[in-house]
Formats: sequence, structure tokens, C-alpha cells
Amino acid sequence: MAEILFYVLSAVALLGALGVILARSPMGSVLSLLGSFFALAVIYLLAGFQFLAAAQILVYAGAVLVLFLFVIMLLNLGQLGTRFQLSLAPLAGPRARLAVTVAVALGLVGLIVAQGAAFGAPPPVGDAGLDPLPELALGLFGRYSLPFQAISLLLLATMVAVVVLAKRQRKEDGR
Amino acid sequence: MEALLIAVAKVVVIFAGMVTIAGLMSLAERKVSAWMQYRHGPNRVGPFGILQPLADGLKFIFKEELVPEGANRLMFRLAPALAAMPAMLTMAVIPVGGTVVIAGREIPLSMTDIDIGVLFLLSMSGLSVYGVILGGWASNSKYSLLGGLRASAQMISYELTLILTILAVVLLSGSLDLRAIVAAQQHVGQWNIWYQPLAFVLFTITMFAETNRHPFDFAECEPELVGGFHTEYSSMRFALYFLGEYCAMTVLSCLAATLFLGGPSVPFWPAAPWYVGVLSLLAKAGFFLYLFLWVRWTLPRLRFDQLMRLGWKVFLPLALLNLLATGAVVAFTHGAQ
Repeated sequence: MAEILFYVLSAVALLGALGVILARSPMGSVLSLLGSFFALAVIYLLAGFQFLAAAQILVYAGAVLVLFLFVIMLLNLGQLGTRFQLSLAPLAGPRARLAVTVAVALGLVGLIVAQGAAFGAPPPVGDAGLDPLPELALGLFGRYSLPFQAISLLLLATMVAVVVLAKRQRKEDGR
Repeated sequence: MEALLIAVAKVVVIFAGMVTIAGLMSLAERKVSAWMQYRHGPNRVGPFGILQPLADGLKFIFKEELVPEGANRLMFRLAPALAAMPAMLTMAVIPVGGTVVIAGREIPLSMTDIDIGVLFLLSMSGLSVYGVILGGWASNSKYSLLGGLRASAQMISYELTLILTILAVVLLSGSLDLRAIVAAQQHVGQWNIWYQPLAFVLFTITMFAETNRHPFDFAECEPELVGGFHTEYSSMRFALYFLGEYCAMTVLSCLAATLFLGGPSVPFWPAAPWYVGVLSLLAKAGFFLYLFLWVRWTLPRLRFDQLMRLGWKVFLPLALLNLLATGAVVAFTHGAQ
């Protein structure tokens, strides 16, 4: 039962990921991503990682994607229409680019197959036998507290960089 | 098999309870507004108009359903369900009482009993914004879109304060499990409201913003936006938005009672039977539900920039300071492990 659920959810997650690239309207992309995130969260739950599942929904579906939606609605994308359609436009273009994309994708899959474990392993279903929350907290604020802080600094720097870049682009536009 | 039956029974009872409370709230809203304005309110259907919600529901079902030209049909149909679902799901983790012994089995009075109840609740309430924002977008109308945008901006802003105030309570109790939080405040003197007065006040105000209720109901600000995000909705889908709103109010009221007022614990009667506990929770939640109505028919609406300023420049720093102070007190009194 749980295994069937795992495969169904994996399929949903993959289809959602495909939808992100192939949807014609950005709204469709965001909603596909939402579906993909949900499938991932339920997979975490199946594997017994309650905290990870809740965090996935809370952070990605509840905060990040809402901001995406917000930006998309504020930008003027009216001419793209409100219909959901899939288009293969991202794959169109010069043959060479398509060839390179396919080669890279095949290479990645090959790499995973070469590692061996990914396809042979049983689906991660059932309780992983962990009590992850205190362990996670101790790891995050004890052993890995320095990298944790470093990541937040990095994110802050990224944010400042994005603001600077966006401002420069505006100036060049003459606005 | 037996466990499954118990689970199904709980789901049915809680769901029916939620819908009933939502229906009664729609009646109470009209009654309370009428009393505050020296009118009678609905009093024709049943005694005191108590059957009015049923009549309204029937009418909603038989109304014609309209989908505006150029709307995204899939999203337009899905959005009201997305608005109502998270509020109903969150009720699953709220403990409505202690344990009952029926036919020799101990049955805890909450639908599920997960360690991360608070996190589950927060992640579900974070999803409620989708129904509003997608409904506003899919309607293909400028009023709806603006209403949806306003609502989502507001809900994102105030969610931060809500989470920070809940975290202060979680710090005090040392658990993300709502049952443990209730167990930690069995006596009136242990209620979190005495230890976290600031968090309680912030939570109560933020509740209004999270549910898009007066005086923060910019999403459906009639003078500017007609009906806001649900301008284009009709029939049962319109009703679903309201069902979602009343369910969200009910859940947040129960949550406020659980976090700050001891949940189903009965003041000065620790050995109370379970049904008194359930009644106690209902009474505490009922107070907050009445507060929603009381404020709605008393205070004028804020301006949108005032709302944003209040959220980001007043509530968020206060909630952060409160969390910092709570953390410091907990660290120094309980000692580092």
C-alpha cells in the first residue's frame, strides 16, 4: 500500500517538475511546482520524517511559492492569458542546444545509475526509526551552528546582491 | 478495524461540529449586528431564527453558478475548496478534551496526536492564502485581483507575528505537541496568558488579520473593491469562501484558548469529567468568536498602509523582542542542557 503510494507520489512530483518547465503561463508553472512540493512532503511523511514534511509545506509551499505568486501577479503578464497550456517551446531552438540538453540529462541519469544505489534500493517507506526533532535541533544549534550562521550570512549577501543588480538594470533602462 | 472506526467517527464528529459552528456563526453575525444596531435580525425561520443557516444553505445550493468570461475554469472552481480545506484540516490537531473511556478503550479527544502539532497547524494555515490569491487571480477581474493581492500581502505579513507569538508559548512549554502544551497549564495559575500577556494580545489582534476580518478586511473592502477576491463568485462556491472564513475563525479561537487559556482544562475543577472539559474549550473559544463579531460591528476599518505599518513596524518588532526575552528567561531559569 505504502509502496504504491510512494510510486504514485514520485510520479506526481516528476510530472509537476516537468509542468514547471513546460507550462505556458507562469501561473501554471507555480501551480505545478506546488503540486510537486506537496508530493515531496507526503513522501517525507511516508519515510517517517514528520518535521521535514511540515517544514517543506511551511517554508516552500506556504512562504516561498506565495511570494512567487505575488511577484507574478504584480508583474504585468496579462498578455500571456489565464489558460493553462503546455508548450514545448522551452525545448525548441537550435538543434545544437537541444542536443546538449539531452546529452546533459542522459549524463545525469547515467551518473545516478552508475552510483548503483538509487534504483536498486527499496522505496523509503515506513518509520525511519528516528526521533529527528531533538537530534535536528542539537545538530543545527550545536555541532553545525557555525555553518548554519554562515548560510544565513550568505543568503543575506545574495539578497543584497540581487537588489544591487536589479537597481543597476533599472538605471540602464533610463528609468 | 476498530481503530479505523474510531478515526472515522472522530472525523465525522469534528467535521459536523465545525460546519455547525460555522453555520451558527453566520446567524450570530447577523443577530449580533442587529442587536448592536437596535434591530431584531433574522427571526422568521424557526425559533429566534435558529434555522436561518439551513435556509441560507439550501438557497446557496439552488442558485445558478456563474463562471466569468475569460476566467481560468480549473482554478476558479478549485480556489474556494482551497480556501475552506486548510481551516478544516487544522482542527485535526487541536485537543478538544482529555481522554474518554468508551467500552474499555481509552480514546484521546483529538483527531490525531502528532508530536509536531504546532508545526502542522502553522503549515496548514500558511496554505489558506492560496484560496484567496488564486480565486482573485482566476476570476479575471481587476477587483478580484486587487482583493486577492491585498489579502495575500496582509496574510503573509501577519503570519510572521502569529508564528513568533506561538513560538514564545512553545518555548515556555518546551514542546511542539498541543496536548503537552495543554497538559502544562492544568491550573488557572499556570495558564500561559499570565506568563505571555504580550504574546496573547499580539496573537489576538493578529487573528483578525489572518482571517481577513474587520478591522483588517481589506480583501473585501466594499467601497473600493466591490467584494474583493470573491466578487465574481456565486452559489455554493461563494458559500465555501464563507465556510472557510468561519472555520478559520473557529480554529484560531480554539487555538487561542489552547495556547493561552489552558484549552479544555476547567478552572478550579481539575477532576472535571470529559464533557465539562469540552464545554470549557467551547466556552473559551466562544469568547474569542464573540470578540470577532464585537470588533466587527464596533471599530472602523483601517487604511491599507496603516495595516502594513502596524504589522511590520509595531507587531513584528514587539513579537521578536517578546520571543528574545522569553528565550533569555527560559535559558537562565531552566538552565542549559
